Amino acid sequence: MRLINGPLTPGAISEIVAKGGENQECGAHSLFLGQVRRDEADGKFVKAIEYSAFEEMVTMEADKINKSILSEFNDVKALEIIHSKGLVKSGGISLLVMVSAGHRDHASKACAKAVELIKEKLPIWKKEIFEDDSGHWKQNE
Amino acid sequence: MEISVLFFGVLAEVTGTHIKHYRDIKSFGDLKHRIGDDFPEIVHYYFRIAVNSKIINEDPLLSPGDVVAYMPPFAGG
Repeated sequence: MRLINGPLTPGAISEIVAKGGENQECGAHSLFLGQVRRDEADGKFVKAIEYSAFEEMVTMEADKINKSILSEFNDVKALEIIHSKGLVKSGGISLLVMVSAGHRDHASKACAKAVELIKEKLPIWKKEIFEDDSGHWKQNE
Repeated sequence: MEISVLFFGVLAEVTGTHIKHYRDIKSFGDLKHRIGDDFPEIVHYYFRIAVNSKIINEDPLLSPGDVVAYMPPFAGG
């Protein structure tokens, strides 16, 4: 698990995919990318999200997610999580989850489960910034 | 004892700080009262508390140097 400043760039995403491909035991990689949505509220559009995190606890909780996924899905060989901190403009990628497994069934199921756990367990907060620079704190349902 | 308190998300905005150090804390209840006195507006927000990065459900026994975090609902992803 890594927290990076700002959005994930196409170059960074490519590197992670290429690194996953080095693992030749795997027949499947499932990749999830979370993107900042240009939501509208009261006629205003979201121009960015400001992320903040309790980094020490994020590391601890991400480690638990990693262990939980590897124990639940025995075909999974590797799990990569990268989340943004700081400002990410609308359209930017703020979360990457990549699960590498022997076969596609566990890869896709484990990836979906990891995303749910990330939303539920990681102490990360986000504030939507609108075009007029007003802000709104969001929370996961 | 001395305890550090971290505020995150909307609570950092409401309190105007990310961290505050408290001295002469006698217990967790004492700490909560001191925080409530300093930042009475936080009662209007939902939050969970972690001690040394572990979420607590009951008032814990604090040790000197513990780090207490006030955390609004998570919003990662």
